[in-house]
Amino acid sequence: MLFSTAVFYVFAAILVFAALCVITVRNPVHAALWLVLSFFTAAAIWLLLGAEFLAITLVLVYVGAVMVLFLFVIMMLDVNFEDLRRDFRSYLPVGAAVGLLVLLEMVLVIVAGTAGAGSAGSLPAGSNTQALGRLLYVDYVYPFELAAVLLLVAIVAAIALTYRRRRGAKVQDPGAQVKVRREDRVRLLEMPAEKRDG
Amino acid sequence: MKTELNAILPEIAVLVSACVILIADLFVPQAKRHVSFWLTQFALLATIWIVVATAQVAPVRAFSGMVVDDMLSDVLKLFALVAVSLMLFYSRAYLMARGLFRGEMFVLTLFALLGMMVMMSAGSFLTVYLGLELMSLSLYALVAMQRDSSAPSEAAMKYFVLGALASGMLLYGVSMIYGATGSVDLDRVAEATLGGQGNRTLLAFGLVFVVSGIAFKLGVVPYHMWVPDVYHGAPTAVTLLIGTAPKLAAFAFTLRVLAGALKGLEFDWQGMLVVLALLSMVLGNLVAIAQSNIKRMLAYSTIANMGFMLMGFLAADLNGYSAALFYTVAYVLTSLASFGVVLLLSREGFEADLIEDFRGLNRRSPWWAFIMLLVMFSLAGVPPTLGFYAKFAVLEAAVNQGFVWLAVVAVLTSVVGAFYYLRIVKLMYFDDPVDDSPIVARGDARALLSANGIALLVLGILPQYLMGLCTLAVTQSYF
Amino acid sequence: MLENYFPVLMFIAVGLAVGGSLLAVGRLVAPHRPDPRKNSPYECGFEAFEDARMKFDVRYYLVAILFILFDLEIAFLFPWAVVLPDIGFFGYAAMMIFLAILVVGFVYEWKKGALEWE
Repeated sequence: MLFSTAVFYVFAAILVFAALCVITVRNPVHAALWLVLSFFTAAAIWLLLGAEFLAITLVLVYVGAVMVLFLFVIMMLDVNFEDLRRDFRSYLPVGAAVGLLVLLEMVLVIVAGTAGAGSAGSLPAGSNTQALGRLLYVDYVYPFELAAVLLLVAIVAAIALTYRRRRGAKVQDPGAQVKVRREDRVRLLEMPAEKRDG
Repeated sequence: MKTELNAILPEIAVLVSACVILIADLFVPQAKRHVSFWLTQFALLATIWIVVATAQVAPVRAFSGMVVDDMLSDVLKLFALVAVSLMLFYSRAYLMARGLFRGEMFVLTLFALLGMMVMMSAGSFLTVYLGLELMSLSLYALVAMQRDSSAPSEAAMKYFVLGALASGMLLYGVSMIYGATGSVDLDRVAEATLGGQGNRTLLAFGLVFVVSGIAFKLGVVPYHMWVPDVYHGAPTAVTLLIGTAPKLAAFAFTLRVLAGALKGLEFDWQGMLVVLALLSMVLGNLVAIAQSNIKRMLAYSTIANMGFMLMGFLAADLNGYSAALFYTVAYVLTSLASFGVVLLLSREGFEADLIEDFRGLNRRSPWWAFIMLLVMFSLAGVPPTLGFYAKFAVLEAAVNQGFVWLAVVAVLTSVVGAFYYLRIVKLMYFDDPVDDSPIVARGDARALLSANGIALLVLGILPQYLMGLCTLAVTQSYF
Repeated sequence: MLENYFPVLMFIAVGLAVGGSLLAVGRLVAPHRPDPRKNSPYECGFEAFEDARMKFDVRYYLVAILFILFDLEIAFLFPWAVVLPDIGFFGYAAMMIFLAILVVGFVYEWKKGALEWE
């Protein structure tokens, strides 16, 4: 138990440090990379809590896919981030006030005692993934299907908003290329043999 | 299983028809796009029939408490379906003139509607959240559909960023409530909070975040920043959609979460709603005076109206909830007609979204001027229109529960509000038109818009049937 | 359960140690003589013309987001496959509906031409 507690503190320290770096480094690409590290360490902490499936999903989906999209967007925007940073000082008082307020609330909640009912605490027998599966596809089937609808809407929205058919673009159609017969391309002409002049 | 499926039959119908239209539309050439339009209308009509046919008085819980099918959800779904159907009829010509008459438009509208319906019959915070996201995601995309102009994109961006922030706050609040009560099921949370279980501090903070999320979706001060920009920037057809049916979903959200799950914290949220209602009524009505764009003016009017609705809600008794439901339905019907007239006056390359564009409307078309007059009277709360009775019922409920000073403020701000509504009436009837072009519209849109306008008058004279329906819906679920 | 992940932890630790020590050795042992010429960006003998960061075509984004959506779909398949014997026909049907909804999206994007690069 002591060892896993030590591991937790190591990962927690890395997570806090990486999260701080995300919001303090100047280069947005570096910030995205720090975010990758925060996701990794968060996944490790989830693993320590026994949430294996969620930890692996976090790595697969967030680190593997979402962060790639983040990097695309950062590159696509082509914003000069130094310009955005110039107003930092004028926003600082408001931001700091909100931050302090949230911090105060969190402290109050923690001081007032941790979660009351705590019925979510006990781990079910067997692997975590199995427990999740037994709940997700039976008790939570309605939200599960709604998740599919949400993904469908995301597909439709992404295509409707970004896809444009380009006119005049030259496209290869492999199907047509394969289907071509000799008769379509080659024309045999009968020509009388020509006589060589003297 | 059969009763469970019956409970979500309307949702299934909307989902299946959205999928069918999405695929069918791919095979329809642009010239025959109205096939998709009529398919959508048919789907809406069929769903209305399903809602009515499967309506029953006793609430049914299905899918381990995720879904609640009761009178409240049926009534709200019915009005949402009607609102979406009317929205499509009113905006047909507008969409055609702007290249927005596309299959995705109908499909995303149906998905937004599906999200609203999921919210309306949600039995768990999880379903509330998923419905909310489904609705919001579709609406963000709809606002941005007009890709070639910058105003809609900007509006969509603002809507999306602020909406994501609100969703985050809502989830944070829900996680706290889950931490305190150990459940996301609305009924179990209600049991826990009423039984005094759970850490009160944690619950109170959870409540603050949940109310913030609700306030954002309703668009009340101080979470109103997105409303004017989105109403103004979005294509008018989409503004019409955002301004109507989602208000019904937001009402369901408020009722199910605050009056249902968090009833044990009634005293806490009443205080918060007083602040929200007060600020919204004052700011909405005052800022609306300064607007020259009618979409922006109606946006501030929405803020004020939602504040007014919350005043009925915070009375927190049967009369209060019924009055708030009645007010929301009345607002949606009025809002439909108001944006319907704006859409009617617009044509290719001309938006008709300035207040000046209504100048002398009576000379151009006495009938549409009269319909707009009814709409403005209803928004201002002039008897005998629907808006008058709605305001009256809400005020009565609030006064009965001892919120007299709030009711006085509400009446005073309504008097201020009457100024900008009646200014439009004055422009229509006493000024000369600047633009004499004839008003052309399709027959179906004319007929429906006329019926909608007349309904504001008829329901205002005979409000007892609608009020009876609202009371029945609330009684069956919460009393 | 956590014991199973001990090798992973060791792997991370060894990986970090080896990587870190190699970098440290390189830093300590290798000759390090900076020079403004050496540090300047080299572009065929010219000064750099423009910022290296440039706009991406929005189509990359479309491909990336479609990938993420189907990636998420696959994530839902893992726990399903694990518990399939327990959840019976109900669970099987639930996943088939889930997949059917996403197949609708797939048909849409295919027919729409969003998967073609041109």
